[in-house]
Amino acid sequence: MWELIQSNKRKSLILFFGMGALLILIGFVFGSYYNSETGGAVGVLFAILLWMILSAVSYFGGSKILLSVSGAKEVTKEIHPQLYNVVEEMKIAAGVPYFPKIYIIDDPAPNAFATGVKPENSAIAVTSGLLSTLNRYELQGVVAHEMSHIINRDILLMTFAGMMLGAIALMSEVFFRGMYFGGGSRYRSRSSSKSSSGQAQVLIMILAIVLAILGPILAQLFYFAISRKREYLADASAARLTRYPEGLASALEKIANSTHTLRTANKITAPMYIVNPLKKEGMKLADLTSTHPPISERIKILRALQQGISYKDYQKIYEMISGKKEKIIPDSALKEAIPITPLQSAFTKEKDFNPVEAKRQTGDILMKMNDYQFINCSCGVRIKVPPDYNKSIVVCPRCGRKHSINNLSS
Amino acid sequence: MIYFIIFIVLIVFVILFFVSIYNALIRLRNQVKNAWSQIDVQLKRRHDLIPNLIETVKGYMTHERQIMENITKYRSQAMNAQTVGEKAQAESLLSGALGQLRVQVENYPDLKANQNFLALQEELTATENKISFARQNYNDQVMMYNNKIQMFPSNIVAGMFNFKEEEFFELKDQTEKEVPKVSFS
Amino acid sequence: MICPVCNESMIVLELNKVEIDYCTNCSGIWLDKGELALLYSVDESENDLQKLFAESSSVNEKSYKCPLCRKRMKKIQFNNSELVIDKCPDNHGLWFDKGELEKVLTLKSTASSQKILELLKDMFSYNKSQEAE
Repeated sequence: MWELIQSNKRKSLILFFGMGALLILIGFVFGSYYNSETGGAVGVLFAILLWMILSAVSYFGGSKILLSVSGAKEVTKEIHPQLYNVVEEMKIAAGVPYFPKIYIIDDPAPNAFATGVKPENSAIAVTSGLLSTLNRYELQGVVAHEMSHIINRDILLMTFAGMMLGAIALMSEVFFRGMYFGGGSRYRSRSSSKSSSGQAQVLIMILAIVLAILGPILAQLFYFAISRKREYLADASAARLTRYPEGLASALEKIANSTHTLRTANKITAPMYIVNPLKKEGMKLADLTSTHPPISERIKILRALQQGISYKDYQKIYEMISGKKEKIIPDSALKEAIPITPLQSAFTKEKDFNPVEAKRQTGDILMKMNDYQFINCSCGVRIKVPPDYNKSIVVCPRCGRKHSINNLSS
Repeated sequence: MIYFIIFIVLIVFVILFFVSIYNALIRLRNQVKNAWSQIDVQLKRRHDLIPNLIETVKGYMTHERQIMENITKYRSQAMNAQTVGEKAQAESLLSGALGQLRVQVENYPDLKANQNFLALQEELTATENKISFARQNYNDQVMMYNNKIQMFPSNIVAGMFNFKEEEFFELKDQTEKEVPKVSFS
Repeated sequence: MICPVCNESMIVLELNKVEIDYCTNCSGIWLDKGELALLYSVDESENDLQKLFAESSSVNEKSYKCPLCRKRMKKIQFNNSELVIDKCPDNHGLWFDKGELEKVLTLKSTASSQKILELLKDMFSYNKSQEAE
């Protein structure tokens, strides 16, 4: 397993340092914009510190802080049996001793990510939108993909690189906010525009604006260059774990065709997701494939895995479809050969999936997570009472039965 | 004297070599046992779910008594099975009968909307998936263990200490063989 | 969800897989986007309630804020009748004061609205019988 992260490590490191250089440059220019003499050094210091703090927080705070930033809540088997079961199935398939924690993020955009520095304290987070758009097989594919990131130990490097991207995105945003609310030297540079230092100021300002716009995009390119092969590898592992590549393929298709955007509150965690969530409102994700392992290609490869689903098969199909002779799978993994046996349980069929009903059920889960009280009136009405409801009795409007409420808040 | 020392050294090497093979065999056998216990847990889980399922379904399904009887019968057969082969056969029959039941559920919209049934359905699906995944893992382990027993020179050690090949756990799909006869009179 | 009229939290009622937000204080009903979708799915044909309404500026009813985005909701009028309901400008949902939803459904009596109407009448059958007394 260790070889899966060792492979291509050098290239990853070069990209990682390139990203670091970008971070330092942005820190320097932004700093200089506010104070041309000493600002640069302060900016660099600030940028590095910000990255280090974010990394330290996500390293030592484990997955907890990252998850709370994205508003994720832990779920138990009682709240969402299916999600819990799917994770357990993947744990058994992989034959690993650890059980990742499971989180749900209340967001209509379908997406998922894995986090945690060590496999033992790892976590898988999925959005409520994912749960309401995917059927069981597709969910299994996504969970298998995230589980593979944990097993292949991708999450450590991806966490550090992800935090760098987060730091750059955060700095650009703070910079723009600063400009918007009339930041420091804008007036100064205008009043002294005829002096040479004023011209330098204008230059710095233009450079700062350009970097604020391009910086996050460049950083994202770096990040996805680092994560690109790991995404393919996780896809290959997921197909192997589930023995059903179509599940992940059709999940990716659904995620790509979604027009929802993840809320900006998740900007720092954005790069960790299964597909890039940073996109403009209403714009289909599929249009942005150039900054990410193209989803259409990932889907095509998965769908072409007809003869076998071993790593060797995946590598072969990858070369065929991408037309590149690039090694996606490390040598040690290529040796094994596993015969394909697609798995189809007799007890849940594709046609059982009703998208409207799935949405309602996901809504129920979110309400349960937010301490709503569920009352099943014997006349058939279900009453869902929010925790801040201010009466102690609720009357069923259908049959008139009175139900008392245990006020949790008091 | 020198020949004696060489002889002793050779003997020690051979013994060490055999010990390492022996340990490898023990490790593989334990892995097989461990993988089997994983399957066993899930099979037991399925057996536990079935009485619940029958109880829930009984009130709705009127024409499927034969299928339900079969499920109960195969369940007790599977629970009493001793060898891996017997177990596999009984479990395949059980899977087949459950599959037939699943097909018939389509005729009962009320049952399909029953919360209790939906929860059971999810549990059964998950358990069957877990059985398949655990089985896959088990068969991989058995493959490695059996290869070791058959190949030279580990086959000598295996023969000396009575390591026996393990059976694969194959569940065959029985649904196609037995098409249920259901009358809609 | 907070009732736009009395600022109290509303309860959620579910019957036959249809959900509505209901204020036990003023008996008003809030239908958000998802709940409307659930309602329409009662019947296969998409009976889009909102298409029956036109924006109206002449109404001087007190305006409320959308419980989701807190934006001021628009008043929309049904076929120039007396009936006016509130709609979130960002399409988060519709607000019906007490009895308004029923009126809408009786005015526009198609086969599909009939089903929804029956479901609502069923859901509030106790409240109705209390009012009659």
